[in-house]
Amino acid sequence: MFVKSGMHCISRVAIAAALVVAPSFATSDDSAARPVNPYTGDKPSVQEGGSLFNQYCSHCHGPWAEQGERPRDLRRLRIRYGDDAITMFLTTVNEGRLDKGMPVWKGVLPDDVVWKIYTFLETVQDDE
Amino acid sequence: MNGIRKRLVGACAVSVMALTSGAAMAQSGNEWTQYGGDAANTRYSTLNQVNTGNVKDLKVAWVHSLGTLESQESTPIIIGDTMYVTSSTGPRYVFALDAKTGARKWTYQPEMPSDYMATVCCGLDNRGVAVANGKVFFGRLDAKLEALDAKTGKRLWTVTVADYKKGYAITSAPLIVKDLVITGMAGGEYGVRGFVAAYKQSTGEQVWKTYTIPGEGEPGNETWKGDSWKTGAASTWGVGSYDAKRNLVFWSTSNAGPWGAQTRGSDSSDVSQYPNLWSASQLAFDADTGKITWGYQYTPHDAWDYDGINEAVLTDLTIGGKSVPALLHADRNGFFYVLNRDTGKVVAADPFVTVNWATHVDLETGRPVEAPNNEKRPQLGKWARNVCPNLIGGKNWSPMSFSKQTGLVYIPAFNMCMDIANREEEYTPGKFYLASEFNLAMGGATGSHLAEFIAWDPVAKKKVWTIEEANMWASGAMTTAGGLVFYGNLDGIFKAVDAKTGKVLWQFRVGTGITQSAVTYSIDGKQYIAVVAGRLKGPPSFFGKIGQKMMEASPEGGILMVFAL
Ligand code: HEC
Repeated sequence: MFVKSGMHCISRVAIAAALVVAPSFATSDDSAARPVNPYTGDKPSVQEGGSLFNQYCSHCHGPWAEQGERPRDLRRLRIRYGDDAITMFLTTVNEGRLDKGMPVWKGVLPDDVVWKIYTFLETVQDDE
Repeated sequence: MNGIRKRLVGACAVSVMALTSGAAMAQSGNEWTQYGGDAANTRYSTLNQVNTGNVKDLKVAWVHSLGTLESQESTPIIIGDTMYVTSSTGPRYVFALDAKTGARKWTYQPEMPSDYMATVCCGLDNRGVAVANGKVFFGRLDAKLEALDAKTGKRLWTVTVADYKKGYAITSAPLIVKDLVITGMAGGEYGVRGFVAAYKQSTGEQVWKTYTIPGEGEPGNETWKGDSWKTGAASTWGVGSYDAKRNLVFWSTSNAGPWGAQTRGSDSSDVSQYPNLWSASQLAFDADTGKITWGYQYTPHDAWDYDGINEAVLTDLTIGGKSVPALLHADRNGFFYVLNRDTGKVVAADPFVTVNWATHVDLETGRPVEAPNNEKRPQLGKWARNVCPNLIGGKNWSPMSFSKQTGLVYIPAFNMCMDIANREEEYTPGKFYLASEFNLAMGGATGSHLAEFIAWDPVAKKKVWTIEEANMWASGAMTTAGGLVFYGNLDGIFKAVDAKTGKVLWQFRVGTGITQSAVTYSIDGKQYIAVVAGRLKGPPSFFGKIGQKMMEASPEGGILMVFAL
């Protein structure tokens, strides 16, 4: 799907190849069509996702997603969007929010990188 | 350039200067005619009505809302009785105000495209305008340069300096040299190729453009591995200085990009083959042709984001009984440099904060000697731990000031270290291209404070006094003949300090964070001091928990405060 790969690290490629990833970037709010993160809870993916997050997103969203600018605080996706967090995440990452300063990542980051970043974010969600 | 030309103080002097203002060469007296106060960037004013004896009586004269919420980094320019000041985000506004009352003379709003924000690295700032020959010039975050009529605020011309969609932007005020307006550019995090460009003030026609990275076949191009020179950054997002006697323009360059140094040369401290000229360097340009007269590289083959853009302050120093035409520069890499501005030769280089990435600068070769065994140099997949200073640097863009009265330099500095590693990454136009990962969530390098304000003796090469700041960021400095140095912090405390002793004589809470230097001017025999404040948003975004504290200290907002006795 994505022509460009930002990753050359052998282990990452190996992991991506080992798993059959069939991401669906559907934006429907029909819960049946909600995308499923293939890596949820997978420890190595959490770790790798944190590192990828730090590499690609942290200069705007804070290292390890620690951030004081509320609208950019990605630890609050669950509080903000509940079950729709995953859809909101994928839509925003794909399409960006250029008028606010959020870049478009479609065509830049491969699917598995985006999923791993999300896998990391799932582990740092705030409760209140 | 050599010494202060004394100026008359008083109402009649003001009106005369308003008419004859050759802005570029004016010294800071009644007016504050350019970003650094004068073409030498000293930020020293000869005004002394407000002084160590009476500064305790300083009161608010007027206040102006800047109309935007973040990153207020503008240096107001005062010509005659008019103040020109910009707001952040674009700029959203250019204001011309009555400098005595704050009443608005005109307001200009540039037409910014809706999508420029996604390709601006580190905060949507604008550092202000340049004014000359009845025109106001400023750069925009969509990499355009614009000229307005200083009287009416009507737009005269707009030129595209570079393509913002590829990550280019303009954040700092341009430099006025004779009939030229000269600008640098930002975008080092996006794989751009740096340059400085000069335009005719009258028409916006480009007169020269000089790349900071030599092109194919030019000497220095071989200091880059493969095609890495094409995306090698060396941007010029700071400000220039001008020496009229030598007809030289001084500009310095950012670190090489991407940060992951293996992409541009060796993956070790052996930097000899690929130093990556002229990244992280001081350059001297012929003002008429843009030709590079000399270059000196502060950080060869950078891997730490030791961006070299900090301002060059020009003054003559007496060192060992001899007068040296000096260029003073406090680098992100933690060394305070004295260069000979005729030759570019390094005269002195001494750490002004905790430095451990290099043991010293070899004054013979001019090169820093890195810590042994690549211990402090990040490599591909290998972390360098506890590297000091961190990537925000020993000093960042907030300007220092050189007081002709005390002979000292006042430096807003940081006291921090980091862990950093190189990563692999492919270049995508308009996207961040760092090839690096870092951890900045560490305590102070020496003591727990994160920032400090330093009085530095450039001849004796040592600190004279230091004020510690618990939170990150001491603002830029401004010195006056009243024996004072002014600066502020991110908690919004604006201070007047005895320039000799470091004693805080007066302070005022302006309500949000200060990062830019104050300015001073005089109208009808009354001295005013002006400072802008607003939440800093770029750097806190990548500073994790420290960043959270910075945000909490400075609410969103944008304010210009003006004080007088
Ligand atoms: C150039 C700065 C920048 C970069 C880099 C960046 N973002 Fe953003 N991001 C923003 C801004 C600004 C917003 C919008 C906040 C708002 O709506 O006010 C945003 C919003 C978002 C949102 C929506 C948040 C919400 O609650 O609605 C998500 C999800 C997001 N970003 C994910 C990412 C990911 C993942 C990356 C790295 C691949 C990334 N961003 C990189 C600036 C950036």
